[in-house]
Amino acid sequence: MSENTRQERPGSEPTSPSTPPHAQHARASQPVPPRTASPWGSHTPHRFTLRARDIPRLIAALILLLLVIAAIFPALFAPGDPLAIDPAAGFQPPGGAHPFGTDGSGRDLYTRVIHGAGPSLLIGLGATALGIGLATILGLLAGLGPRWLDFGTSRLIEVLLAFPGLVLALLVMVISGPGALGATVAVGLATAPGYARIIRGRVREIAGSGYVEAARVQGRGRVHILTRHIFPGTARSLASLATLGLGQAIVWVCALSFLGLGVAPPAAEWGALLNEGRQFIATFWWLTFFPGLFIVLTAVSATVLGRGLARTDRSAS
Amino acid sequence: MRIGGAILVLWAAATATFFAVRLIPGDPAQAFLGGPGSQASAEALARVRAENGFDLPLWQQYLDYLGRLLRGELGTSYSLHAPVSEVVGEQLAGTLELALWSLVIAWVIALGLALWSVAGGPVAARIAAGIEMTAAVLPHFWLGSVLILLFATGLGWLPAIATPDARGIILPALTLAIPLAGFLAQLLREALQDAAAQPFVLTARARGESHASVFARHTLRHAAGPAIGLTGWAFGSLMSGAVVVETIFARPGLGRTLVSAVQVRDVPLVIGLTLVAAAAYLVVSVLSDLAERALNPALRIRTEAGAGA
Amino acid sequence: MNTHRRLLGFAVPALLLGSALALSACSAVAPTEPVSTDKTLVYASGDAEPTCLDPHVGGNYPQSLLAAQFLEQLVSENKDGEFTPWLAKSWTTSPDGLTWTFTLADNVKFSDGTPLDAAAVVRNIEHVQDPETKSSTGYLALAKVSKATATDAHTVTLNLSQPDSALLESLSQPWLAIESPAGLARSQDENCQAPIGTGAFVVDSWKRQDSVTLSRNPHYTTGKGEPALAKITWRFIPDSATRIAALRSGDVQMIDNAQPDTIAASAASDEIKHLDAPRPGSVNRIEFNSSRGPLADERVREALVRGVDVNAGIKTLFFGTATRSYSPLSSVEKLGFSEPKLFDTDVNAAKKLLDEAGWVPGTDGIREKDGQKLSLKFPVSTNQSIPAEQSLFEQIQEQAKGLGIAITITPLDLSSWYEALGKNDYDLVSAPYTKVGPDVLRILYHSAGITPAPSGYFANHAQVNLPALDDLLTRAAETGDQTERASLYEQAQKTILEGYYILPLYDQQNHFLYSGKLTGVGEVNSVGNPLLRGVSFAG
Repeated sequence: MSENTRQERPGSEPTSPSTPPHAQHARASQPVPPRTASPWGSHTPHRFTLRARDIPRLIAALILLLLVIAAIFPALFAPGDPLAIDPAAGFQPPGGAHPFGTDGSGRDLYTRVIHGAGPSLLIGLGATALGIGLATILGLLAGLGPRWLDFGTSRLIEVLLAFPGLVLALLVMVISGPGALGATVAVGLATAPGYARIIRGRVREIAGSGYVEAARVQGRGRVHILTRHIFPGTARSLASLATLGLGQAIVWVCALSFLGLGVAPPAAEWGALLNEGRQFIATFWWLTFFPGLFIVLTAVSATVLGRGLARTDRSAS
Repeated sequence: MRIGGAILVLWAAATATFFAVRLIPGDPAQAFLGGPGSQASAEALARVRAENGFDLPLWQQYLDYLGRLLRGELGTSYSLHAPVSEVVGEQLAGTLELALWSLVIAWVIALGLALWSVAGGPVAARIAAGIEMTAAVLPHFWLGSVLILLFATGLGWLPAIATPDARGIILPALTLAIPLAGFLAQLLREALQDAAAQPFVLTARARGESHASVFARHTLRHAAGPAIGLTGWAFGSLMSGAVVVETIFARPGLGRTLVSAVQVRDVPLVIGLTLVAAAAYLVVSVLSDLAERALNPALRIRTEAGAGA
Repeated sequence: MNTHRRLLGFAVPALLLGSALALSACSAVAPTEPVSTDKTLVYASGDAEPTCLDPHVGGNYPQSLLAAQFLEQLVSENKDGEFTPWLAKSWTTSPDGLTWTFTLADNVKFSDGTPLDAAAVVRNIEHVQDPETKSSTGYLALAKVSKATATDAHTVTLNLSQPDSALLESLSQPWLAIESPAGLARSQDENCQAPIGTGAFVVDSWKRQDSVTLSRNPHYTTGKGEPALAKITWRFIPDSATRIAALRSGDVQMIDNAQPDTIAASAASDEIKHLDAPRPGSVNRIEFNSSRGPLADERVREALVRGVDVNAGIKTLFFGTATRSYSPLSSVEKLGFSEPKLFDTDVNAAKKLLDEAGWVPGTDGIREKDGQKLSLKFPVSTNQSIPAEQSLFEQIQEQAKGLGIAITITPLDLSSWYEALGKNDYDLVSAPYTKVGPDVLRILYHSAGITPAPSGYFANHAQVNLPALDDLLTRAAETGDQTERASLYEQAQKTILEGYYILPLYDQQNHFLYSGKLTGVGEVNSVGNPLLRGVSFAG
């Protein structure tokens, strides 16, 4: 989980932003192969299946949309109070009044999971935004700057990469104290170097591409090249990176919860719920199952969507 | 160049950790004497402060520390009252063993999944893609608990905790390996599909080579490169994962030591462990780079090594 | 009650003749089946791994659990609260209570082969009192001992600066266990690795972050014969879910810090058995910081106590493994005094009290006074409060919200938690404290406990500052009259409860689960550490 964000999702498509830099170097000059090629070497184009491949992406988008709505208007789906206790009705299995069961204090797990979408997605989005924001600055400096700046920034990225991500997060959390803000900053910082390396590679790739070269030959200014070519090209990569990173950020927060550094109780954040339920995993399965389901559902949907964007990105460039 | 870069990385890691740990609220002298609960006397605190230079300005402490580091001294752990190098030596083997087994298992699973997905047709590919994506987002602590429940308390096949015999490593290694395998398999599958369309593969097919031969000699070789190149990164991620897995499975190791070192504000130990993790990351990324180049001749001519590791 | 403490009477020097049988009061029946004597027991501890195995150094509960297997004390306490001989076979006190004379048991040897003599005991007392040792628990317990002398080879005399009615209680604690002088002569780092005692087992090795290995002491004479176990592997398994899984799968045979739901789940089968050994001294309670903010007002404290109901939560979260307490003292303390009526829940009365105190509901439901919100800080140590307890705190938080009181719970690691306490940045807190006997009240509620030590540590977290209470506690600690002692402690407890300084919850939980294959489990020392010397594998 968590630390996997070091380097964003490795290679979904040949020139996708998530491909490791090495791979991109190797491929930058190669023609983009048709998508439909089978690894066995046979070559059967089936353009019409494109619509079928879109279905998972549509479902993923729908799930994320529902989650975002739940995050903004949780009462639409769960009108109850996520903090309301009923000590006498603790540890009720799913069914009847409590579709996901109740926790030890008799709080309705369904309500808590739905209301947990807000903080979970907010931390996930915040952390991803912070991580990608920092990474973009580093990546642009390294990718566009003079040699010495690239060298310096690349070293910095390397240092951050070598620093175990969870250690970084752990230190940030211990310094800032537990809470949503600390968790956001911790995860954002820990994931930034992975993104930075990818963005640097992408920027260099675009900067060295034929059409940028052509623009340069035509005498276009730096600003033009930056705004018309580099930024749009990178932005598309960023969009897919961000979607992919969202899921990972949520999983990271879980790891922090496990170490006792997540959001403060009684907030219904998914990672905290999952960790709370873990000690009852053998006795009261629903306490981990439902929060876990939502985490996996979100992360997988984000992955599917992110890969979809990466694909579009590839065909657009 | 590489060595210079590595030294730079280690220096920066040590510096960052030094200041980060000193930012944490808490008196290092108290940490030295067993934490605030141990009721150290005023004299003892003063003595420890003087002995360890805690009363000096921070920059001077930093320079002193750097000087000792240059002489190869990692210092003495406040909480364990043992040389950091000794503690690291004790704990390193367990984590390395865990990380290596996890890498091996992750590669086996990833290769299996990738091969099955390319060989089994579109349905298999769909299923494999789903498995990979799900595996990649499973939180370690949840996965570890489920595996214990399943294989230790349920089926009784494997011990729930680290044991002296080899069986004790299986569950912790699996816990680390499964999410990693999800990532590697995704990468591998895409790379296989990509490689299959490469001109040299088409040429080989046109020359009349068999499917199996083309696959083994060209496609797989070409596709494995990027994934192997990523092993350095994977190793780094395993070090982070070890923090969680070592706690759950009660394995001695760097990760577990690190968490408790941060919690008791054991500055020398935290820095020592971070340096070791960073060094391990550097070594493994160099090795995986070399392996990737050996597999992919196209990379050998590349002089500029990207981000450098 | 008085008969149990008769031997504490100073007026009549109590001579207690050694009776090894007294120890059997807390040990289990001897197994009838043949037992194997070459077995290794694997024990899984959820407590933090000690940084030093010598309980003189620092002195916390995890140290005592382990030390109880290889170190022994001068006296023992049975389940009726009577003090029984251990390394000392008898003792007398002078009429003024200032001189205690202990006669040591004969023919006891440390595991290094050296004999236990009076000089060794003196050396131990000096070791605990030496600031270099950095003892805290043992140091405090010996605060009134001004001098220890070896009168002859087997007689030790302790001179006290003031009478100490808690001396035997103190000496029964593992933090004052007797170690071999040869062991103490080594450097502290060396002695921390493997202290040498007279206990049933000997420390073989200590692999950090993993385990301590103990083996049978060939010189063991103080128990009822040789221990049956050949070895004990003492493992540190911080994760409670892993601990119970390892017990269920047979990887370990005994675990501590068992969680309530797993105890309840285990009750159904014979495969796993339960040992409940509540800690002595203080009850587990929430302390209200009376030194600052809204809780300086007794009415607000009373409102909080009467406005929340913790009984339903305790019942559900603890599955019947914890009983609600209404006393400042543990249920194992004979002098504990309960006043359940004070804690009857009455939400309306609570709200009225808050109104009277000038706290009126604000627009967001949280009460205000002079522009100040009625909000309270509750730092929780995740190392010290089990998940069920943290859930209970959340229930209190939620119910307090209904009263118009906003409580902010902050889970913290131990260092940060101490930091918050040291800065007086808390309104509610729950802190464990283990000490045998009612004298723990003096440590926790005497105003002297408000002044922090140089390290920032202080024990009076409620910051009770009542001269009358100080006087009661000081007199109780000095009196030789049992009836007077009981009465003084009752008055002291009444004062603490009626001033609403604490919300008592339940005993400091100390649950063990062990494999049904073990026999002889059940013997515990005065602080609730199980002694494994009588344990064996059946069949």
